[in-house]
Amino acid sequence: MLDDLYGVTSDLGNEGIFFCLSGPMSQELLVEIGGAIKNKMLMDEASKSTMSQVFSIIVEMVQNIIFYSDEKLEYEQLGETSSCNVGLIAVGEEKDSYFVMSGNMIKNEKVNRLKNRIEKLVAMSKDELKKFYKEQRRAGPDEYSKGAGLGYIEMARKTSRPLGFEFREIDENMSFFSIITYV
Amino acid sequence: MKNLKIDETKYTPEMTFDPETLVIAIKGKSYPENTEEFYKPAFEWLEKNLSDLGKKGLTVNLELIYFNSSSSKALMNFFDMLEESVDNGDNITVNWMYEEDNESILEYGEEFLEDIETLPFNLVPLKSRE
Repeated sequence: MLDDLYGVTSDLGNEGIFFCLSGPMSQELLVEIGGAIKNKMLMDEASKSTMSQVFSIIVEMVQNIIFYSDEKLEYEQLGETSSCNVGLIAVGEEKDSYFVMSGNMIKNEKVNRLKNRIEKLVAMSKDELKKFYKEQRRAGPDEYSKGAGLGYIEMARKTSRPLGFEFREIDENMSFFSIITYV
Repeated sequence: MKNLKIDETKYTPEMTFDPETLVIAIKGKSYPENTEEFYKPAFEWLEKNLSDLGKKGLTVNLELIYFNSSSSKALMNFFDMLEESVDNGDNITVNWMYEEDNESILEYGEEFLEDIETLPFNLVPLKSRE
């Protein structure tokens, strides 16, 4: 394993990825990730607007992992069982744009619903997305959503290229869901 | 009247009310894990005091440098509530403040403005802080 670690990090570098974190996610960690990315982007002299768009996508993705990942790490704290949801977040650059990717496990039974939802967004124009975002903001979330149900619409609106996504079946219960956006 | 005072954290804004000037100020970032839970005390305070404040003339100053999508929903609910009050004859003004070089906050303000009909809603540029 140890002698592979350089291989892992150079693979990430070759893909343009300058930040990658895989493991249990939390709100506190999200704050720190935001700080690290901000420092890197300040060095790049990125505009405030670009920084805020990249940060916005990171927040939506990490909070999606916190809410919806089906891989959980359970632990005992003061006699109570708590859990932390596991996923991956990566940020990189490619030519003139930044990209943000995330990945997490999802139960197979949920795959179709999420896939349909994202496909619908990918097929929409920016104007249609804006209209849909505003409708949803007033309508409220559906029964499966723990937030406002706006996260993926926000990503689809911010991305400068179509959202990329993939569902890879791992076994009879779980698939790995990954998604990428470009700013 | 019990005063509104919620301190800023790394991911939630400061919320205050000044009874002298009748100004509610919301300032900072907003990306709590549970948005509904976070905003609940502020909405409850507002429900109790809005009709009284609306008659006296209320100003709401928003200076958010970042907010997530569920906070955007909470803000929309907030503006809808204020607008209903304005439609009942109350006097309320919202100032949406943005740093002049932060286009995305300006754009969010413009989109709220598109969805608001009668609530006075000003887009106010601020000098950049860096």
